[in-house]
Amino acid sequence: MKAAAFDYVKAKSLIEAIALLSEHGEDARLIAGGQTLLATLNLRLSEPSILIDITAVSELKGIFVQGNMLRIGALVTHTEIESSDLIAQHAPLLKEAAPHIAHRAIRNLGTWGGSLAYGDPAAEWPACSLALDAIMVIQGPSGARKVSAKDFFIDLYTTTLQVDEILVASEIPLASSNQVHSFQELARRHGDYAAVGLAAMIRTDKGKVQTCRLAFFSVAAIPTMASKAQAFIEGKSIDTALIQRAVNLAREEIETLADITNSQETKTHLLGVLLERALTKMMP
Amino acid sequence: MELNGEQLIAAPVSRVWLGLNDVSILHASIPGCEEIERISDEEVRAKVMFKIGPVRARFAGKLILSDIVPDVSCSMAFEGTGGAAGFAKGKARVELIGTESGTLVRYSTEASIGGKLGQIGGRLISASAKKIADDFFLAFAKELGGELITLSDTKVEDKKEE
Amino acid sequence: MNHKKQINMMLNGKQISAEIEPRRHLVDFLREDLGLKGPHLGCEQGACGACTVRVNGQIVRGCLYLAVQADGATIETVEGLTEQGVLNDLQEAFLSHNALQCGFCTSGMLLAAAELIEHQPKSNREQVREWISGNYCRCTGYHSIVDAIMEVLEARADGRQVKSVTTA
Repeated sequence: MKAAAFDYVKAKSLIEAIALLSEHGEDARLIAGGQTLLATLNLRLSEPSILIDITAVSELKGIFVQGNMLRIGALVTHTEIESSDLIAQHAPLLKEAAPHIAHRAIRNLGTWGGSLAYGDPAAEWPACSLALDAIMVIQGPSGARKVSAKDFFIDLYTTTLQVDEILVASEIPLASSNQVHSFQELARRHGDYAAVGLAAMIRTDKGKVQTCRLAFFSVAAIPTMASKAQAFIEGKSIDTALIQRAVNLAREEIETLADITNSQETKTHLLGVLLERALTKMMP
Repeated sequence: MELNGEQLIAAPVSRVWLGLNDVSILHASIPGCEEIERISDEEVRAKVMFKIGPVRARFAGKLILSDIVPDVSCSMAFEGTGGAAGFAKGKARVELIGTESGTLVRYSTEASIGGKLGQIGGRLISASAKKIADDFFLAFAKELGGELITLSDTKVEDKKEE
Repeated sequence: MNHKKQINMMLNGKQISAEIEPRRHLVDFLREDLGLKGPHLGCEQGACGACTVRVNGQIVRGCLYLAVQADGATIETVEGLTEQGVLNDLQEAFLSHNALQCGFCTSGMLLAAAELIEHQPKSNREQVREWISGNYCRCTGYHSIVDAIMEVLEARADGRQVKSVTTA
């Protein structure tokens, strides 16, 4: 099917992009990678009157180290993340997750910022941003603000981004030497939407877990952290007994939502399976 | 798809009943409602813009009420078309129960979504329906001047859609 | 409402200009306006991969890329890449392994395979299968396509030529 007619403008700067958004409001959509937007337009599930192309906005580009944080620009593509040395060194969880996103041709255009701004419950980057304590850098007509990942995803497909705001970049603490991670995703076929997924990160100190982050995706309306399981694990050493108890805790605390892939009960079961795999892998 | 739930609103039963039948209150409560018009005692027509993720689909639909027992319960049948996006059809039953802290609104809905929205959006139809219902009751309670005491127990079940 | 935009792009080695409606995706522009029938439209939703073309050196879904976005870009289709000889080994291997029947998926498969060979030359069968899982084939059952791609990977690794069917 062909998209309905729309106008198109390519913003030359962040200020121009924000001004255009303010001017057109809900009638405009931003286009970066367009891998979700254009499919939606082709199906006429959305008919904006104008697309604002932000791919030339330099403030949204690049991966670089800033102090003790790694800054990932909103326009960075999934492929760029997959092949970046900086990511491999400072946020290896993302390198492990990237190949799970759709297929290569989509990864070549799809962007970090696009995935976060849509906040699809089955997407990889929102969960990874939770697991890594990412901070979202947002710009609007009244200036810039920062929001931590755990306050960014508030409901199904709903983030704290206002209509006239643009996600500029994310800042992620550089991976420390005592940090390990695990990325788990179950999907019926490679590239399908996840049935259940987990982005996990642990920092240890003398064999005991100091920090534990367990961010599940495709289990509920938003990426969801197993905070009780996290709190239980912190301060202890990982062994098989602890893993079992953590799995039970996670299954109890997370209210799963069925979707077209699986029922609530199956999701609950599978999230425990993934947690066991992840903790086993991260066990020293 | 089945959507069943209960919401407790801090307002008396008669006010909740009036609210559910007042098109201006419904207009303010239904997320994305652009137009709403009462055609008769039993029929209401509306245009609603559904916004879920990347989807923006304008649905034109009608609601037909039946088995009306004032201040107690009613049934409704609804259908809407979203143009190229697809169509929705279903029925619902709403019951109002007076309690100490306010009115318990108990609802059960069965709906089917067809067309593109059903195929593509079908993945998250349950989560979307739950969000719409939650957003509706939050706004509705505010319109009544009462508080939504609990957004609880909304159970959604996905049935196989053709 | 006329929203047409002027675009310039490098297409299969030639500079071209056109005036296009923004809603037109790249493959419709290539097929309908320029008569380049190499890329095909299967789903127009980004799932099937039949529309795969190369933009600025990397494969993309041509149905999920607007022609207006190609302004200033370098576009290559199976026609151009064949002319350059870039796909020669793959095309020979596809023929000798019977890796196409109706041919609908083939241009997309070739472009996807070419990027794999360039970026992951040490891929094994499993990795090839994962890589091409974004390109649907309704005829072959994929096995022969994987065979063909593996032959090219192995030949490159051994520094030898792929057996030619067309010039034997």
